[in-house]
Amino acid sequence: MPGHFIPHQDELAELALKRVVASGADYGDIRLLDSTTQTIRGEDRRIASIRDAQDSGFGIRVLYHGAWGFAASSVLSLEEAPRVADLAIDIAKGSASLARERVKLADEPVHRDRIVTARRIDPFAVTLDKKTALLLETMESMHRQPGIVRSSANLWARRDRKLFVSTEGSRLEFDLLALSGDFDATAIHDGRFASRSFNTPHLRMGYELIDDANFLAVAPRIASEAVEKVKAPTTDPGQYDLVLDPEHLSLTMHESCGHPSELDRALGYEANYAGTSFLTTDTRGTFRYGSSHVNLVADNCEPETLAATGYDDDGVTCQQWDIVRNGIFVGYCTNREVAPKIGETRSHGSNRADSWGTVPIVRIANIGLEPGSATLDELLADVTRGIYIEGHGSYSIDQRRYNFQFGGDAFWLIENGKRTHMVRDVIYHGITPDFWNSCDGVADRSHRRRYGFITCGKGQPSQSGWMTHAASHARFRNVNVIGGQAGS
Amino acid sequence: MSTTSHKTWPKLTSQDEFRFLMELVLKRSTGDHTLVSLHDQQSGTTRFANNQIVQNVDMRRGSLSVTVAFGQRHGTASTTDFSAGKVQETVARATHIADRSPNDPEYLPPVEPQHYVTTPTARPETAFAGPARRLEYASEAIGQCRMENLGAAGIVSSSMATVGVAASTGLFAHEVRTDARFSLTVQTGDATGWSAAAHRSIDHLKVQERTLTAIDKAKRGLEVRELPPGRYTVILEPAAVAGLWYSLLWALDAKSYEKDTSALSGKLGRRIVDTRLTFRNVPTHEDLLGIGFTPDGLPTVASDWITDGVLTQLSYDRFTAKARGIDTIPTLDAPCLSASGSPVPTLQDMIKHTERAILVTNFWYIRTVNPTDLTLTGMTRDGTFLVENGAIVSAVKNFRFHESPLRVFSRIEAFTNPTEAITSETGKLLVPAMTLSDFNFSSVTRF
Repeated sequence: MPGHFIPHQDELAELALKRVVASGADYGDIRLLDSTTQTIRGEDRRIASIRDAQDSGFGIRVLYHGAWGFAASSVLSLEEAPRVADLAIDIAKGSASLARERVKLADEPVHRDRIVTARRIDPFAVTLDKKTALLLETMESMHRQPGIVRSSANLWARRDRKLFVSTEGSRLEFDLLALSGDFDATAIHDGRFASRSFNTPHLRMGYELIDDANFLAVAPRIASEAVEKVKAPTTDPGQYDLVLDPEHLSLTMHESCGHPSELDRALGYEANYAGTSFLTTDTRGTFRYGSSHVNLVADNCEPETLAATGYDDDGVTCQQWDIVRNGIFVGYCTNREVAPKIGETRSHGSNRADSWGTVPIVRIANIGLEPGSATLDELLADVTRGIYIEGHGSYSIDQRRYNFQFGGDAFWLIENGKRTHMVRDVIYHGITPDFWNSCDGVADRSHRRRYGFITCGKGQPSQSGWMTHAASHARFRNVNVIGGQAGS
Repeated sequence: MSTTSHKTWPKLTSQDEFRFLMELVLKRSTGDHTLVSLHDQQSGTTRFANNQIVQNVDMRRGSLSVTVAFGQRHGTASTTDFSAGKVQETVARATHIADRSPNDPEYLPPVEPQHYVTTPTARPETAFAGPARRLEYASEAIGQCRMENLGAAGIVSSSMATVGVAASTGLFAHEVRTDARFSLTVQTGDATGWSAAAHRSIDHLKVQERTLTAIDKAKRGLEVRELPPGRYTVILEPAAVAGLWYSLLWALDAKSYEKDTSALSGKLGRRIVDTRLTFRNVPTHEDLLGIGFTPDGLPTVASDWITDGVLTQLSYDRFTAKARGIDTIPTLDAPCLSASGSPVPTLQDMIKHTERAILVTNFWYIRTVNPTDLTLTGMTRDGTFLVENGAIVSAVKNFRFHESPLRVFSRIEAFTNPTEAITSETGKLLVPAMTLSDFNFSSVTRF
């Protein structure tokens, strides 16, 4: 039967939710999930491991007298369902005993739907021979470059089959894919070492993502740039104009815009771990987050992106909304619990759990920087002394997301409008709104690229959030660049 | 609540049941070698913020992993379904992968049967704590904060796991592990104070004492001043020392060391930090979270890593260890950093004897900036204070730092005896509080 990935899944869900309803709970839902993850890891010209992990289970969430309880189990049996349901109810009753303010969920229509990731090539149907040969050839190719001492090459694929059923009547089935590949090369020179990497975006699509990335064509350039990078000169600390590529910007946006726009952080839910937010609720609608070039849009509807799953784990339809419009902060990422706390009548549908065993929490949406009108050459042409940065490097940011520092994977000096040569150990530093207010140009839609994250840490117990950030190249003026050594 | 009742708890996979699963796997496997790993856990977390419960969860998750090898071709498959049919299917998947894998020149067969020293890895009071006990501790922390008109955010968690590893070589290991954690951030206005604990025994979390510590820090943070970035003498509390020290552990990887891609390459046998510092692994220490065996099935061992400031040990994978003729692979499951000489009795004494310094409760978001010299960056968090003439005089806005542990731990002015330390970014260690000179704070944030 299509979609029946777990025996008796509907019976199990019905059995559990009947007990939740009978307990007098305000609300309840159950998520049954069957995940298959294939990870192939290559290291130094060998396949170090191939793992095929199957992870199945169910989690029951109960809202009782305005307080939450959650219990989950990997034992998918009709005997286990009542035990877990009763435990979730009991835990919710315990939470209710300490409740000062009752949780009231924002309304959401009842949905009955099935969501399937579109794919041309099923990644699990591609032979291991083909995959391991690709990784071995990629690493071999990079080691042909003199100076390369280490390499890695990896493929990752995940299939999630999920059933969500709520006491409100929603029933949602999902069959989702996600995929990525990456490789890197490490070079040594004069007592130093440096790596250069290539990453496909993490996207919801088939193996065509890997085929289209053409590892073997890219690998020689990555190896060559690793050697160039380790031999490159450092730069003097000081003020530079920066031109940032889409992959690099995906991380900058994620850390300095994505996290502070999570409403649960702004409300203090994450105060003990991931932190709070400088975008406090009184700033919405008035705070100048960035220059007029800065338009940051959350789009959980764009096909192939990680957060575009049709519905979130509250059973809320995925949506598109503004986070920053013409430089002004205007919107948060929300779920059904926190949206009413700022007077919103509907959740934006950004509540996700990373497994059947974890409770959904507010996650960053697919936040992207809207394209401008310039070409990359035009952005560079107007820079007298600057640095062009590609990819991800070291990053760190305070718990309210003000003071940040980013490195990168590769850096080129820009002199009189032209990229000249690579430099190394570049770190730039700033205060989030100052930085985004220094943005004076964004490249057009033809430069737009998407990059995803699957390791966004938040929550206790810690969960990994998934989302995609799209951007075109952007230029920032007079950013504080420091060297990468102690004492800088 | 009735959740302490044992009827609600599943029975985790026992030693006999693991042996049964192992035999089922080995009977079905056609591989030259087969390795079976078990991790079966019951865990729960009560999470609170704004003085009320925001998340209250409990999970049972069992996972069985099978690695099959033909010669040097190997593959691994795992399942959370322990039914006979699924276990057999998992063996078939691992076999399928191994059959199609290329030769791995670094593959080694599973280890032979080992002798394990019995390590007290589990405590019954944690195993049977359950949601009611977690709620009791959360209520205690929230109540204390409410009384002071402060906001509490934090967690109480407890877990029990049965862990096993067995192989076609006759290897067999199985043990029960428990873990309990408490952490609390107290908020008042822009000020925050933090404290945290982790222990095998939930009875040892010292919830009341740690709550009062976090409250005291938050209240001291109400008056805050901004100091310019620059080099300061710092007093690092144990959690802050742990954050910096933990970053050093990644550089101990022997393979990276040999390929000259470690900050420590070429430094074995040489002094890398102050000669008073010694770093050991102590798996049987009752306040650490030592375990009996590694995922490979090797016994954990007491070992010296840095002695009198000199690097004496590296972290070996089995292949690199074999290539170097190392029979006993040292482990780092229960790390302890200590200093020889005359310790200052307490952190308060350390403050009392300091003319001017920045007192750091904790660091946050520590990341490597330059892997060649191990320069790190990170922020101070949840209690950063100016100490003058032997007393805390005010809170200060949080700093970003740029420093290498190889440099800062060569500039030790004073230290305490090792005490328990845990952060959200480190495992548990025993480390001293330390006074360090000339610490590089490179910028200031806005709170």
